[in-house]
Amino acid sequence: MELPLYERRDRVPLPPKGATVRTTGCAYCAVGCGYKVFTWPVGTEGGPAAKDNAFGENFPTGFEGVWVGPNQHTVVSVGGKPHHCVVIPDPDATAVNPGGNHSIRGGTLALKCFTATGPTKDRLQFPQVRVRGKLVRVGWDTAIEAMAAVSKHVLAKYGEAAWGMKTYSYEFFENTYAITKLAFESIKTPAFAVHDKPSMSNDTAGIDDAGIITFSAAYEDFKAADVLFVSGTDPYESKTVVFTEWMMQSKAKMIFVVPRRTMGVAHAESKGGLFLQIVPGTDALLHMALARVILERGWEDATFVREWVAGAWEIDSGFGRGSRNTPWQWRTTWGDIGAVDFAAYKKWLLAYEPAALEFAAKETGIPKEQIVVAARVLSGGGGAAERPKATFLFEKGNYWSNNYANTASMASLALLCGSGNRPGRAVSRLGGHQRGWMGAAPYPREKSPERLPGRRKLELDLDRWVEKGEVRFLWVIGTTWTGAMTASQELARTVRKLTVASDHQPTSDKKDDIVAALVRRADAGGMVLVDSDLYPVNPLNTELADIVLPAAGWGEHDGARCNGERRLRLYPKFYDAPGEAQPDWWVVARFARAMGFAGYDWPDGNAVFEEAARFSRGDVLDYYPLVWRARRDGKTGHDALRALGTTGIQCPVRHEDGKLVGTKRLHDSALKLADPEGPTTHAKWLTAFNTHSGKALLVKSPWELFADFYARIKPDPAKGELWLTTGRINEFWQSGFDDLRKPYLAARWPTNFVEIHPDDAKPHRIESGDTVRLTNDDVLIQTGGFNRVEADELRFSWLEKNGHIRIGNGSVEAVALVTPAVARGVLFGYFLLPPNPFNALAHRVPDPITGNYRYKLGKAKLARTGESPYKADRRFLSFHRRDFVG
Amino acid sequence: MTPNLPRADCAGDCSHPEVARRDFLFGAGAALLVVSIPGVGVAQGKRADYPKKKVALLSKLKKGEPVVFRYPWDHANCESVLLKLGRVAGGGIGPDKDVVAFNGLCPHMGWALPAKAFRADPGIAGPCAGHLTAFDLTRHGTVVSGHATQGLPQVVLELDGDDILAVGVLGLLFGFHDNRAEPK
Repeated sequence: MELPLYERRDRVPLPPKGATVRTTGCAYCAVGCGYKVFTWPVGTEGGPAAKDNAFGENFPTGFEGVWVGPNQHTVVSVGGKPHHCVVIPDPDATAVNPGGNHSIRGGTLALKCFTATGPTKDRLQFPQVRVRGKLVRVGWDTAIEAMAAVSKHVLAKYGEAAWGMKTYSYEFFENTYAITKLAFESIKTPAFAVHDKPSMSNDTAGIDDAGIITFSAAYEDFKAADVLFVSGTDPYESKTVVFTEWMMQSKAKMIFVVPRRTMGVAHAESKGGLFLQIVPGTDALLHMALARVILERGWEDATFVREWVAGAWEIDSGFGRGSRNTPWQWRTTWGDIGAVDFAAYKKWLLAYEPAALEFAAKETGIPKEQIVVAARVLSGGGGAAERPKATFLFEKGNYWSNNYANTASMASLALLCGSGNRPGRAVSRLGGHQRGWMGAAPYPREKSPERLPGRRKLELDLDRWVEKGEVRFLWVIGTTWTGAMTASQELARTVRKLTVASDHQPTSDKKDDIVAALVRRADAGGMVLVDSDLYPVNPLNTELADIVLPAAGWGEHDGARCNGERRLRLYPKFYDAPGEAQPDWWVVARFARAMGFAGYDWPDGNAVFEEAARFSRGDVLDYYPLVWRARRDGKTGHDALRALGTTGIQCPVRHEDGKLVGTKRLHDSALKLADPEGPTTHAKWLTAFNTHSGKALLVKSPWELFADFYARIKPDPAKGELWLTTGRINEFWQSGFDDLRKPYLAARWPTNFVEIHPDDAKPHRIESGDTVRLTNDDVLIQTGGFNRVEADELRFSWLEKNGHIRIGNGSVEAVALVTPAVARGVLFGYFLLPPNPFNALAHRVPDPITGNYRYKLGKAKLARTGESPYKADRRFLSFHRRDFVG
Repeated sequence: MTPNLPRADCAGDCSHPEVARRDFLFGAGAALLVVSIPGVGVAQGKRADYPKKKVALLSKLKKGEPVVFRYPWDHANCESVLLKLGRVAGGGIGPDKDVVAFNGLCPHMGWALPAKAFRADPGIAGPCAGHLTAFDLTRHGTVVSGHATQGLPQVVLELDGDDILAVGVLGLLFGFHDNRAEPK
């Protein structure tokens, strides 16, 4: 892909009075800022006088005034006619981004839109089939009917588990509802995974086990807190407005736990906060050491523990959580982990060797004194007249390493500090994507061929299942899949073998011919691959997929979803989707009808939204009362939501005193609930924790479950190995699918980068702007171990001993940024930029308890390969430190 | 890794003093930097050209000591800062190609970047007091880190003997819809 040319415009057309105005939410991160979209026909423009433009403002405007930047304007097609399109942060927003605060991503949303002549002109526009290795255009009928015919064959001959789906979890309720209705209700396949993990496991099981729902907080809690413990993320770099609007404006002292110093960290330090620069993978040890310091000195919140932490009787009652048939209950039966009362937890932790301060300091790289200071700041150190309100926030740097123990130990630490159920005292994920998952039916765990010890069913690891050759048909929707998973180059190699390297390829674009070839492929042990996406994705649909379907996206159909504080808004259609692109719910419905399934006759997205509402009842994102009320008022669900603008409403939605009300935070012990009214359901976790007793659980977090794997993957400095950890930066969203087509952002980052500490760069004579190659010829890949029986079969050492680990490799290139911002011995790069995502160098051995990948624990050797053109060409990149605060 | 970089008029090093100042950047002359989407013209007809304005004397500049001026109009949003960086910069003039000027309003939300926020060492403007956006003064004001939806607008400079002239602006000034429309 050629980089788009960045022209610096010095003029934009203003929307005239009468321009069509719609509200929407940002397409990108979990924060979901509110935006306004103005469209009007090309050929007219507003003027700078207030009476002549849609804003009613005189231009030039002043400080924090309404403004349209050059990258906030484009030209789109509306009803087949060219229209100007301006997308700006909503200046009238009162929630999320009051006054129009925004990130560099959302701020440039306009450039995401399809234009026939601009950088987005390569959008997928028509269904295509790969014929003799080359994609050719076909009609929707041919594509869908071929998919259905092959699917029927695969399901009849090989069963549900041979028919898989890999999809986003976030791109609007309408789509995820349709997708899960197909996969879980109609087909009932266990071979299903969402974009960021290989199985349908929970993201942060340790937090869940404590009885804390991961998106429980309201953003105002971050402003109300006295201390913010931020682990495994710098929201400044990835959830921007949560930082700039809700954290930075608070008086809270911030404690950052990350391996590199970013702008948010630097700002925190400049305000008296703490930077705990942690060695990747050791968070559980830090959390346990902090908890131990607190317990040893009696700094815990004894009142909160007494009132809100489950005692022995409450744990035993209903096994702490209720139903026996839950993942939580399976986990607790082994004894190593599970909930214990405060006295037992204290006894365990004080005697537990890996929780010792010395051990933590040695492994985490954080000095003992700093851990004690942090414990004092979090707890008030016993001497404070009033205990500080501590909020605990975390993301993938925390939970995508030692997933279970990191999250369980963090939950316990937070509970000891009295956090989890009061204003300013939240425990919450900050989020990656927005919350757009609306399951139509539960995942069919009973059909999963994968088992935990004790022969309890576990969600199937789709990647491992593909690697084993058990998937004959796979439909990927809206994710890069191979690049997004760990050991990504190895996964792409496997998929290549199963698809394009097969002898069985369609030789014409006729449906019967396509079906015959693809059925032969499936019968020969190969895999048929369908991909729905916005853009060409290398290699997934450019080289590998047999059938490629064009998706309509943000702004091209009406969709609804929630942000990171469960705020539901409508993201409306405002311009024409390119070519024959259709929303995914439409494609799924058409496929389902071709399969002969009933219940897919939706006339429009609103019909899906309204049907899905019933399935949200009683859940965290319950919006059924909104739809119920809309019907009573003679409106559609989408129209009722549209009327709520960028404020939307926080889920679960309730109906009280004849009005719809949102739910600010979950586990809100201060919330007063009246009797339930109409369709309102009052879940226990509205006012208490999500456990049987309503009290939170202290959950153990043994290091041993991870220690053998950790010892195996630790880089060996003698071999020139370094940790390779990855993350986000502000300027990119995900694979950069939009951003690399935004000329301004593509000029800022024309390529992936790797941050290298000067001491690690020196032996290789690497300086900023050089090109480097990162290689790992020791990428561990779990190949078997589906059917576990004994507890020790969870251990990496057991997998290795029993031949379930193969060793692969990966190699990526990047431009070097030499900076002391990253820890010595640690490399940092962006995780998912084409053409060679850094995920290639991370191991594909998931957390055995939760099935999540340890993305953040890759390793690499460095080699300098030359000099990039960006050293001299000052139109691109910047080699300054990003943590510069003056 | 062989990136396909867009062609620049300045063939690699975009700080060549020989290249006409208005054409040196991003493959197009400043006079042509209007809506670039085909079929979409400028509705309001002919626009005024940028004025030429003398803003400083080269011989009087000292590294790291900013010169504040207003350009292209005498308007609060047009407050600009000229700085001798002591290092080669994109668009830099003078014998060391190190004299640059930028508008002084953060294009994120219009907060003022005061002259003291323009730092010759390391060549950064910012971070902005509002939301911590910082700009690279050696690379045409691109965002180092932060939220601005365009780089800091760069005031194009020319040298006429010892006189430093401002002759154009690359990028839209915060609050403006058209740099060349005189504020009323």
